[in-house]
Amino acid sequence: MSTDTLQRAEAAVAPPEAPEKSQTFRRRPRISERFHHRLFIAPSVLVLLVLAAYPLVFIASAALTQSSLGNPFQEFVGTENFQTALTSSAVQNSLTLGTGYAFGVAAASTALGTATALALWRSLRAGAFVRTVLLLPMIVPPVIVGILWSFIFSPSGGLLDTLIRRFTPGSGTYAILSDTTWAIFGVALADVWEWTPLVVLLVFTALLSQDPEITEAAQLDGASGFQLFRHITLPMVAGTIVAAFLIRLILAFKVFDLVYVMTSGGPGSSTQVPAYLIWRSALQNFDVGIAATITLLLAVVVTVVTIPIFLITKRLRDD
Amino acid sequence: MTSTINTTNAAKALSSRRFRKEIPQPCQQKPSLLASGWVLLSLVAALVPLLYLLSISFMTQGQIAAGILLPTEPAFRNWANAWHSPIPQGVLNSLIAAAGGAILTLTFALPGAWTIARHRTGGKALSGLILSPWLLPPIVAIIPLLTLLRILGLTNTLEGLTLIYALINVPVAIWLLDGFIRRIPIEVEEAGRIDGANEWQLLTRVVVPMLIPALIAVGVIVAILNYNEFLFATFLTQSQDTQTVPVLLAGMLSERVQDFGRLAASSLMAVIPVFTIAVLLQRYLIEGLTTGAVKQ
Repeated sequence: MSTDTLQRAEAAVAPPEAPEKSQTFRRRPRISERFHHRLFIAPSVLVLLVLAAYPLVFIASAALTQSSLGNPFQEFVGTENFQTALTSSAVQNSLTLGTGYAFGVAAASTALGTATALALWRSLRAGAFVRTVLLLPMIVPPVIVGILWSFIFSPSGGLLDTLIRRFTPGSGTYAILSDTTWAIFGVALADVWEWTPLVVLLVFTALLSQDPEITEAAQLDGASGFQLFRHITLPMVAGTIVAAFLIRLILAFKVFDLVYVMTSGGPGSSTQVPAYLIWRSALQNFDVGIAATITLLLAVVVTVVTIPIFLITKRLRDD
Repeated sequence: MTSTINTTNAAKALSSRRFRKEIPQPCQQKPSLLASGWVLLSLVAALVPLLYLLSISFMTQGQIAAGILLPTEPAFRNWANAWHSPIPQGVLNSLIAAAGGAILTLTFALPGAWTIARHRTGGKALSGLILSPWLLPPIVAIIPLLTLLRILGLTNTLEGLTLIYALINVPVAIWLLDGFIRRIPIEVEEAGRIDGANEWQLLTRVVVPMLIPALIAVGVIVAILNYNEFLFATFLTQSQDTQTVPVLLAGMLSERVQDFGRLAASSLMAVIPVFTIAVLLQRYLIEGLTTGAVKQ
């Protein structure tokens, strides 16, 4: 029964009662209704064509040809670009760095965000002031977030440097963003600062919208404290936490502005995340063929990495 | 029986639509000191970097290098310099492109979002695919879209940038609107249909009025995304009079001698519009983010 599967899929993301009901009383749509519906989705389909299908065809063609920025699709070269990209250590390092960065940042944001959401929920009240303050980091333009954290990490009079000097006089300077090991952590910290509030908001809302009756029932049955949290609260918000992790992971895979502003991929290539490498190949080296190839490889990595998490989200929702 | 449950649930959903203050805090446990301490700490963590930027914006280059954290004699020159620079024009450009793009995005996205949520036109494939462009870095689409704009003759214009913003956010807007549309009790739409409204009238006279808060919420989120966007703006606005504010700020970073104070003042000037909107429309923003992104 195909409608049933559809319904189940919908039930995963929505209050189940609305779609079920609409199913039960649904009659076959009239012709004019169907015409309207097609008209209504036409812009969305058009956007998908322009934003997804067209770039995909463009990129696939560019990956299979020798292409420069001004003059794409010069000559068919088959899998040559793929061989070059897959054997290039710069590409391998970038994809590894990007994946590690995304997981690290997403894990840190989710852990900190969940902890803060729980604290908000347990503390007396989370008024408008607290919520507004928590909104601020994520609405600052990423370029400005980059500038701001560059100031903080600046070795000449930056906030971090000044504080370290004040508490441990005579220590050397700390130039985090010009250190091949630490620069990526500097970028990651800025990223975590910017997007953790989103996790806080999502998890906090999920905590508030738990069914109080279930909690009360568990309390009547004698559950309390950590038990209540572990067996009642946590399972109820687990789906939201995993979903927040997924959103955060995808945002971290896309990081570009912060790297562009804070380190320009350097020092060396120590912060050259995939989006930055693609940008550099296409718009500094003008090799659109290779840039397109790296893009396809990144697409494969992101898909492979996100599908299991997506499935977990769905499973948690269905239960 | 099921019908009663449906209506009460729908009523509940409607009444909890806003992130209202009077929502009872369902946590019956006593507030803990550890929790309050953690909240305080996270507030400090969120605010200190921003306050540091504010502090720098009132310092001279010498004061910054000396490692002073709070300026004793505030230097207002930085703000004056920022005001007499292309920054205000950039803020204006950003606001135009952000608002124009958001309005167009909503116009494109709303009919599609409603049809997909309510009638599943396009089936599972469409609702599954709709978010796919959001998954990859926008860099993916930049060269193809640049080529497209060149064909349309819209490169290096604010109109071209607005059009691109309108397009790139349609998937996110559909995704966010979906959660709100599902909260409208289906009975309302069915009543409209029984009264003889066709689908167009249903959408414009029944659905849209009920979705006004949702449209504000999603519109504000999309507008902020546009305002903050950097990558497309660098490529699509090359001339000074069309550059948006993130592009101008990134440009200031590549100047040979960097004036930290002026950079900080300019950054804050760019942030003022978004912060004002965030404070005024805080509820809508939070509701949009929470309802849309994770459907309960």
